[in-house]
Amino acid sequence: MTISEPVPDAVASAGDRWIEVGSSTNPEAELAVREAMAPIVERADAKLTIIFCSPAYNLAEISRLVQASIGSGEVIGCSTAGELLRNNPMTGGLLIWALGGDGFAVTTGVGLGDPATGLRDAAQTAAQCLKRLERKEHTLLFLLADGLCGDQMEVVRGAYDVSGAGVPLMGGCAGDDMALQATQQIHRGELLTHAVVAAAITSNAPMAIGIAHGWEPLSEAMLVTGSRGTTLESLDDRPALDVYFDVYEAPAEVRNDPAAFFDFAHTRPVGIARRNRIEIRYVYAADYERRNLTIFAEVPQGAMAYLMHGNSDSVLHATSEVCALAEQALGGQPARGFMLLECVARKSLLSNAGLLEESLRLPTLGPDATVGGFYTYGEIARTEGSGGLHNQTVVALAIA
Amino acid sequence: MNTAPWSLHVLSEVLGAFTFKSPTALRDVVSRVAEAVDAEITAILRHPGGFELCVGLDDQHKPMLAAAAAERLPVLSLGGALLHLYWSPLDGGDVMVVGRFREDYTLEERALLRAMGRSIQLSTQVLAALKAEQEAVRAEKEAKVLAIRESTIDALTSLPNRRYLLAHLAERLAQCSGWRDQLGLLFIDLDRFKHINDVYGHSTGDAYLQAVGEALSHFRDNDTFVARLAGDEFILIVATTDLKLLTDLAERILKHLDQPWVIGGRVLQYSASIGVALAEPGDRPQDLLDKADLAMYSIKQQGPGRYACFEPYMLDRARRKADLETEIRSALRHDEVISFFQPIISAVHGGVVGFEGLARWRHPGRGLLAPEDFLEVAEEAGLLRDLDARILRDACFRLTDWQCVQQGFSPRLSINLSAASLQDPVLIERVADTLAASGFEARNLLLEVTETSLVKDVERAQHNIVNLKKMGVKLAVDDFGTGYSSLRYLRQFPVGMLKIDRSFVSGLGQNHDDDVIVSTIISMAASLGIQVVAEGVETADQRTILCGLGCDFLQGYLLGKPLDGPMSERLFVRSDQLLLQLGKDDF
Repeated sequence: MTISEPVPDAVASAGDRWIEVGSSTNPEAELAVREAMAPIVERADAKLTIIFCSPAYNLAEISRLVQASIGSGEVIGCSTAGELLRNNPMTGGLLIWALGGDGFAVTTGVGLGDPATGLRDAAQTAAQCLKRLERKEHTLLFLLADGLCGDQMEVVRGAYDVSGAGVPLMGGCAGDDMALQATQQIHRGELLTHAVVAAAITSNAPMAIGIAHGWEPLSEAMLVTGSRGTTLESLDDRPALDVYFDVYEAPAEVRNDPAAFFDFAHTRPVGIARRNRIEIRYVYAADYERRNLTIFAEVPQGAMAYLMHGNSDSVLHATSEVCALAEQALGGQPARGFMLLECVARKSLLSNAGLLEESLRLPTLGPDATVGGFYTYGEIARTEGSGGLHNQTVVALAIA
Repeated sequence: MNTAPWSLHVLSEVLGAFTFKSPTALRDVVSRVAEAVDAEITAILRHPGGFELCVGLDDQHKPMLAAAAAERLPVLSLGGALLHLYWSPLDGGDVMVVGRFREDYTLEERALLRAMGRSIQLSTQVLAALKAEQEAVRAEKEAKVLAIRESTIDALTSLPNRRYLLAHLAERLAQCSGWRDQLGLLFIDLDRFKHINDVYGHSTGDAYLQAVGEALSHFRDNDTFVARLAGDEFILIVATTDLKLLTDLAERILKHLDQPWVIGGRVLQYSASIGVALAEPGDRPQDLLDKADLAMYSIKQQGPGRYACFEPYMLDRARRKADLETEIRSALRHDEVISFFQPIISAVHGGVVGFEGLARWRHPGRGLLAPEDFLEVAEEAGLLRDLDARILRDACFRLTDWQCVQQGFSPRLSINLSAASLQDPVLIERVADTLAASGFEARNLLLEVTETSLVKDVERAQHNIVNLKKMGVKLAVDDFGTGYSSLRYLRQFPVGMLKIDRSFVSGLGQNHDDDVIVSTIISMAASLGIQVVAEGVETADQRTILCGLGCDFLQGYLLGKPLDGPMSERLFVRSDQLLLQLGKDDF
């Protein structure tokens, strides 16, 4: 599926915009920042620098070093569950994605939430940066949120409360290398948790978003008869965990061992029926006593749901094609760069099949297009409707 | 594969979102309406009043939608794209509008959105009532929290108060299931805090307590609870089984508190005393507090700025004291406290010139008890004034009787007067009543006070001393030479007699220093016109030396032991030792 911004009347000047990506796996923070920032510091007018950083680093130090090297430009970022470059999925590394030039203008914001009340108000606060932005023709709100702080859908709702229908939303939920303990967010050199950071980006050239997942329904549609927050309690009035085990014919160890369940569920998400698509939700834990499933985002009570199955071919295809799909929506203008956000569970699936690197070859893109991103705990992409939270999906932002 | 119509998905999901659990639920419901039909915009418009809720539309474009509401326009051009609108009427002219770009609504969707409108109407009414109810509950909760805070937090130091402390301690003790969960308690009492209030005023005292509270709050952590028990008493409860940890903490606190602090522009340095106790199985809050209090009290008696750990003997001692106090009260009620009399002899003539009335307790189980066996407890129990009054009354009546036995005999009477009695506002009234009732002459009465009580509490005692002088009652300074030995008060007060302490008398003829001291006291008193009694005269040598130095009167075992009234009367009043017709200067 691709969704695009309206096609511009005229092709914008290409010389007033740039997008750069740098990376490093050097374990020394100072050396890693120097290496990753090398292509960016050559440019004098960075408008937005985004840090995607493994929690193996001291993020406070990384943040400080990046901010120092960038000067007055806006810096945001988050911890990840892996970083990705074209042809090169990384774990434990540092990736810097930046855009600059007079063709862009950026404002940023931050909001703080907590696990008890969630992130809707935090996202609303962060999205206020849109109101300070002097908008050009094309505007987008980019979001990085804590991936372990309540229902992720609340981030989309909070941001949408401010952005409204006229501004697409794109972003991801921060990770922690699958420790599932705590994620971190960065805003102007400050390290935060339970936060949403936002960057309102406006450009005189198009920006477009591509979304794909490649999952297919395995089960019949079922009514979500019991759901509370991120806990899926029952499907068709049966305990959700029992339904899950039956449909997937789960082996004995998965039925008793939380660690085995965690690995098993990576490639077996829940799908929510939407008007013309299925949205994916990532199952990451089971409550053996209450027979519940724990999901990264809410599966609404009353919704029609499916249990999905992973087809490595379709998943691989989705990853390799999503940038091209986004670029096609740029109205004929070539993409200068891409932001690629992919669910960490897909990484597991492709890693198991030995196809991860292959998935990032992105053969349909020209060699000059920069690509960078990270493995997330949830993906945000809204261009139509008012929803836009995805799991086990890959989303791409193409910028002309 | 699912064959259910899409409209049923929508209905199911949106109706499933309705809840009355939270007043903010309506916002979620409206968001879900938009999400379920892939609409970009959902709003509720009140008539009149405008938007109550709006999802997906910025402030700039809201007036356009509001204008479209009047005519229920089905399509609106917004940002160059067509927005398909469906208007679902609510009560009273209100309306819910759902807007979707690109595709218009199917018949089924329109039917469902209309039905949802009715549900939202009902939801709005219920939620409004719920919101009001929750607001009331919230206000009540806040009021309760405030009331609880006010009743559990000490207003001066902002630390938990006694009530909170006792409740917290009870809870912590209830959680202790064995030696692994032991609790320790530090009872901190500021040394000489009363002195701060007396000298610098209560505002400075309060500021000092605040500073102490602040300082102690720095010792608070997950395992340590700090509270103000009362006055200058603070408590630390520590989750530990380690007595060493508690004593280390006590040392740190003592060191921290015993520093110069600037309070209200003054530099104050006061120490504290700390009692340490570990809870034992079955201890109630007051048990643990009492143990630590006993340890604190025990160490405070030995001097300021120290700590002590509770030992079982402290409890035994305290119980014994409590029992003794009860017995003393009973003894006073049942006339078990009686007067004994020790004769005072003229050094010149060798005859009896008077008596010192002394308290004895004829204990029903323990026999005759001397003052040192009960005076300390009586003092702590505040019973000394009653004790003094009883001896005074008993002795005055006894000596008046003796005057009848021996015509012309006008013996003097010395009675010990405690510091508490000296400051007693009713002392004068009590002495006057006793003299009037017994017929004993004021001029023959000497009230013995110690140097310490005379000097330290002079301001409080001033009124009584002046009035005693007016009555003709003289003061005798007891144990002279062991305290301040100030010449100033000898002139300031109506001191008629000095009593040389027995410690100097016992060294006469053997210790040159004692010879010099006794000689000096006698010479000084003579020059001030004050008579001298030497106490504790036990040998003939001492008597000879004292007579040689010019001492006026002698008292001691050599001359007569303290005896009860009948025995004294037989031995001294009805004997040949009596010196009759004493001149007025004799005693």
